Amino acid sequence: MKSILITFDQAYSERIIEMLTHNNCRGFSMVEQLQGRGSKTGEPHYGSHAWPSLCSGIITVVDDDKVDAVLEELHQMDKATERLGLRAFVWNIEKTI
Amino acid sequence: MTALCFVAVVVFGLFSFSKLPIDQLPDIESNTIMVFTYYNGANASDIENNVTRPLENTLNSCSYIKHVTSKSSENVSVITLEFEFGHRIEDLTNDVRDKLDMIVKSLPEDAQQPIIFKFDTNMMPIMMLSVQAGESQSALYKILDESVVNPLARIPGVGTVSVTGAPQREIYVYCDPAKLEAYSLTIESISALIGSENRSIPGGNIDVGNETFALRVDGEFRDPRDMSNLVVASIGGRNVYLTDVAQIVDRTQERAQESYNNGESGAMIIIQKQTGANTVEICDKVKEMIPQLEKNLPSDVKLGMINDGSEDILETVNSLAETIIYALIFVILVVYLFTGRWRATLVVSITIPLSLIASFIYLLITDGSLNIISLSCLTIAIGMVVDDTIVVLENITTHIERGSDPKMAAIYATNEVALSVMASTLTIFAVFFPLTMISGMTGILFKQLGGMMCVIIAISLIVSLTLTPMLCSRMLKLEKKGSRLHTILYSPIQKALDKLDVWYGRRIDHAVRHRKLVVFACLALFIASLFAAKGLKSEFFPSDEQSRISATIYLPMNTNVDRSRNLAHELSDLWMSRYGKDLKMCNFRVGAADDSNTFASMQTNGTHIISFTLSLVELEQRTIKSDDVVAQLRADLNARPEIERFMVTAGGGMSMGGQSTADFEIYGYDFEETDSIAANLMAYMKTLPGVGEAFVSREQYQPEYQVVFDREKLAQHGLNLSTAATFLRNRIYGATASYFREDGEEYYIKVRYAPEYRTELEDIENILLYGSGNNAVRVRDIGHLEESFTPPTIQRKDRQRVNTVSCVIAGGHALSEVVEAGQAYIDNMDMPDGVTVQISGDYEDQQESFSDMGVLALLIILLVFIVMAAQFESLTLPFIIMFSIPFALSGVLIALWLTGTSLNIMSILGAIMLIGIVVKNGIVLIDYTRLCRERGMSVITAAVNGAQRRLRPVLMTTLTTILGMVPMALSQGQGSAMWRPLGVSVIGGLTVSTVLTLVLVPVLYCIMQGFAIKKGRKKHRKNLELQAYWAENKSNIMHERVALKKQKHNQ
Repeated sequence: MKSILITFDQAYSERIIEMLTHNNCRGFSMVEQLQGRGSKTGEPHYGSHAWPSLCSGIITVVDDDKVDAVLEELHQMDKATERLGLRAFVWNIEKTI
Repeated sequence: MTALCFVAVVVFGLFSFSKLPIDQLPDIESNTIMVFTYYNGANASDIENNVTRPLENTLNSCSYIKHVTSKSSENVSVITLEFEFGHRIEDLTNDVRDKLDMIVKSLPEDAQQPIIFKFDTNMMPIMMLSVQAGESQSALYKILDESVVNPLARIPGVGTVSVTGAPQREIYVYCDPAKLEAYSLTIESISALIGSENRSIPGGNIDVGNETFALRVDGEFRDPRDMSNLVVASIGGRNVYLTDVAQIVDRTQERAQESYNNGESGAMIIIQKQTGANTVEICDKVKEMIPQLEKNLPSDVKLGMINDGSEDILETVNSLAETIIYALIFVILVVYLFTGRWRATLVVSITIPLSLIASFIYLLITDGSLNIISLSCLTIAIGMVVDDTIVVLENITTHIERGSDPKMAAIYATNEVALSVMASTLTIFAVFFPLTMISGMTGILFKQLGGMMCVIIAISLIVSLTLTPMLCSRMLKLEKKGSRLHTILYSPIQKALDKLDVWYGRRIDHAVRHRKLVVFACLALFIASLFAAKGLKSEFFPSDEQSRISATIYLPMNTNVDRSRNLAHELSDLWMSRYGKDLKMCNFRVGAADDSNTFASMQTNGTHIISFTLSLVELEQRTIKSDDVVAQLRADLNARPEIERFMVTAGGGMSMGGQSTADFEIYGYDFEETDSIAANLMAYMKTLPGVGEAFVSREQYQPEYQVVFDREKLAQHGLNLSTAATFLRNRIYGATASYFREDGEEYYIKVRYAPEYRTELEDIENILLYGSGNNAVRVRDIGHLEESFTPPTIQRKDRQRVNTVSCVIAGGHALSEVVEAGQAYIDNMDMPDGVTVQISGDYEDQQESFSDMGVLALLIILLVFIVMAAQFESLTLPFIIMFSIPFALSGVLIALWLTGTSLNIMSILGAIMLIGIVVKNGIVLIDYTRLCRERGMSVITAAVNGAQRRLRPVLMTTLTTILGMVPMALSQGQGSAMWRPLGVSVIGGLTVSTVLTLVLVPVLYCIMQGFAIKKGRKKHRKNLELQAYWAENKSNIMHERVALKKQKHNQ
């Protein structure tokens, strides 16, 4: 089991949920409004006057074999529309209930 | 769902549109109440002292009263109360009635109960029909009454229908005084005899067998000729018949108003509408009915149209509707030009009709109508409703270009800008909402405009936040490359726009580095524009091209009707030949009207008065301007010495936009003093080029003959004054003997001297009066004839005697010129004590409205400032934006000056609307500059970058508004003079202020930010100094402190 944290421009939300469904990843938790900015070129998403756009974040815990497929699709998405901003981070799950 | 909601709105809006009445102007509720008090036998000054004054004093305490004017003439006092606009006339009437109840008891005993009469502008005639008749002329009145007047009066909304120029039938018994004398008969005895012969008297019932019959003596004349065999006397056993002493003539009234159409005799039918009825609807119905009515008329009677009140209205409304269509096309073109996408253009253009159609619902709910105001409002709105949509659309497009899919982009992009869109809409509200609160005459006009604008803007806001994103999510997509045609067509435009961006960027970069120069240049321009204001003329309402001209000509008092008629014929021939094709109809009326004619009794008429109505053909086909016609008519009339005075007015008082007048009111008790001042002033005013004509309101003394009886001699012959006077009246005016009844109609039978026996003064002196005991005496034996003058009507205003000199402004001149010249002349005059002169009329209204508008402008500026300050959470930024307002003003002044338009209520309205529009530009600019600054740019870079990036949106919204107004400013259609100043002032103001805003606002932003930075640095420097001082002297200070503490401790 691995957890994937996906942070993305709000405009992606529908597409990402669809993609998860498509990859049989049923469970996820989502934060609709997140603020943040990218490390290099990423435009700030503050929901403020100067930077009005906002991010969302999704944490999903998936089986190990699905991780690559999901990441690959996310990567494709990001490459298609780089200016929006999309990042994903994966780490291990030690225990669950 | 969203789409369906708006479809419902559209359907409901179109339904309202079909129900909306069409009118010239919004309903102006009447604000005038008249009080008539009859006091028979009292002369003008008695009436003034005993009736008018006490009534005025009491009525003056009514609430909302503006002016009290009165006319005291023989037998009657007429008080006119003018109230402030905007109050219910019913409540005012009740108030007046209560006040009258209080005072009535202290009026003279013989004075009758005062009568309250609500005067109404709606009582103006809306339609005039001409009637031409051949052999039916003598029976014309009856024919018209039965088959035209009655059916027309049954049309719902029609008030009264009056016939002029078709005299009624009367039966005259013309007596020969010599024969009467020979048989010692009198008019009275003949009249009594006819009265008692022409009777039908029921004689009760009789029972014959089983049945009951009514008994009746029926002696009513079947034919006027029956009268000739009446036996009027028996002398020496021989009967004297009526034919022996008199001639029985069945004819039309001796004195009646005659009407001529294009020089031919005929009648005129005047239709007035009921209060609140719709002119266009009624006119349509009347026109529909005419062919039907003509069928029932004898073949020689023809109906024609002199004046159709709906024509002007329809033409005005149609030309405005045309303007709206042009504006729509222009706006759509501009949007396409700037976005270069047809889908986006489509989305924007859908919002326009939606918001406009929704406003019809508001109109229907508030009982509004389609009129000049509401339609110009639509034209103004077209350019403004797209603004919100454009902002939303632009942000959605940016999001899509960044890679969002349209649906997501629509949601999030709309959320991002929703607040700022609402805020900028609020500034527009801040401008138009106060308009609904103005009072007075202007208030009535602008209430509708303000209300409608608020509704339209609100709808456009809702549309931009709901429908626009919805449409965008469906219709927009990432356009990689347009079609080939599009590329060919659009790429030059794209290049030009790009170049403009670069050029503007450079200019602004230059400007922000030469701030002082820019500021001083702008200041210089503003001051220069104020000089242009000096050359501006001002007036109240713009005067408009009219298709109806009326002229009232007064010949010297007592001119008889034949002479008046001859002159009228000459004039009408002259005018008909001169204007030829431009003239549709030339109608004139001459002679004294009888009392039963409602329309005529409202106007002055008499044997010496000629009333002309000239109808010109439609504006497009006309080769001459109405102002010129009016000037020519005046010249013609001036050239005729026999004419005492005249009034020529364009528009005939049927609508606003006619010529305005400057009234100089001369207050003072003494008739002679005020008369001479008035005469002086009038003579001077007539020499001014700006004055078309001038006249004095106080009438002249009227010459008349008085029969003065010697009371002693009267008494000796057993007569008293009233019997003697009745004798005179019966012989000259006639005694009504009875009625002749035919076909359910009644006609007067009048007994009087035959016309040939009442043409000279001698005839009057020879009249025989019979006293008691049948002794006859001639008038000349017991009295004499005296030529005398009756004193004029006493006019008062606000409880003082007044004499008014009214000057009608000639075409091409403005009210302010004349008023200034008149004022200067009055200042140099020697005023006797107790005489004051005041300027009133349109000038008073103008001053009042202008000051109202001034207060309004201040209120609006304050409101707009508050809205902006709240939006930016800052006081300096709104302050910067506010700088575009003075330049809007200078733009207005320059535009008015260049086009030679005068400063009037419409151009001021334009200026007021500008406050909201120009501020919007500033907001767009500053908002983005602030954003750049927040993103970390330096002040100058932010200003340049922000201005450059916002050039297109600013130009786009400005161009949509300006181009929306262009058709308005250029239109030449009927009624266009009314709104042309509005268009001119908005275009001028917006152009100048936009150009300057684009340069000055970034510059001012830099200056203000510079101050802020300097202030910040100063503070920072002080802090640093303080810290440095601390670092240096820390040990010393600490030591000192410790030493101080120790000292305290030791003590």
